[in-house]
Amino acid sequence: MSEIFVFDDTDRKIVEQLRQNGRATNQQIAESLNLIASTVSTRIRRMEEAGMLRVVAVSDFAVHGYHVIIHVAVQVSGRPALDVAEDLAEFPEVFAAHLVTGSYQISLLLTLRDIDELPSLITDQLSKVPGIKSMTPAVGLDVVRYGLDTGPIDSRRLA
Amino acid sequence: MSRPDLDDLDHQLIRILAQDARVSNRKIASDLGVNEGTVRGRIKRLQQEKLIAFTALTGLKLEKATNIAFIAVQADVGHVRQIARNIADIPLVKAVMITLGPFNIMATCLYDDLDDLHKLASGKVLEVEGVRHVETSLVVRTVKFSNRVVRITGAES
Repeated sequence: MSEIFVFDDTDRKIVEQLRQNGRATNQQIAESLNLIASTVSTRIRRMEEAGMLRVVAVSDFAVHGYHVIIHVAVQVSGRPALDVAEDLAEFPEVFAAHLVTGSYQISLLLTLRDIDELPSLITDQLSKVPGIKSMTPAVGLDVVRYGLDTGPIDSRRLA
Repeated sequence: MSRPDLDDLDHQLIRILAQDARVSNRKIASDLGVNEGTVRGRIKRLQQEKLIAFTALTGLKLEKATNIAFIAVQADVGHVRQIARNIADIPLVKAVMITLGPFNIMATCLYDDLDDLHKLASGKVLEVEGVRHVETSLVVRTVKFSNRVVRITGAES
């Protein structure tokens, strides 16, 4: 896992095909790229084994009952931001937690089944985490693009 | 947001395919004790209703840009939807959400180096008509995130 993995052009072309249809057979991919099926299967296995590729079904927030998305900008004081973020990440409603530079220190994404869950989540639960100076929410109204298929493959699993 | 009507079989299918999308319909059917046509039909319906999508998740090394930044945007409220779409069309802007809060658009982007990011945030995003102010936050560490659960918009990557 520690050795350096390099994607070559053939790898990239295969990944491009898989992004369009992750369920395409090795044979279908091979035909569209003028390769042979065994090359395709070897390449896919190599990328998977290097931890650089997972071909998966991603599911919509709605499948998990998440109908409300809220971004919260958290300012921290008197405690390391990483400790605060790790405590916040324990809550199932916290879908994403990132440490950031800028006017706030932690970027949180909350996913809720219903907006009614918000008051007690904020006032009785998240606010109890020591070190939070302020929380500035932004309620998600519409997601225009969501193309986050490049990124850390095995960060903490949620679903 | 719509509330989909999903039964246990749908959830089982989603769980299996979330681990590995390249497993065959036949294998899934025999594992779940249903026939292959049912599996095929269910998968088709889940895709058509944009509840699942098959994709290749790759490590950041696939792209030259390997760092993440959040760009919070204050944009003309009367045209926020069009402005958000224009920002979403900028290469390396990977996610865009319209929000109600101090900023009305939140964008997530990938960048290679700070010069790149500056060109993106203070150049391309700020140049979109109707954008008044941007604030950029660099991600220094991901504490929690799942790229298996997404919003399927039909405008991915």
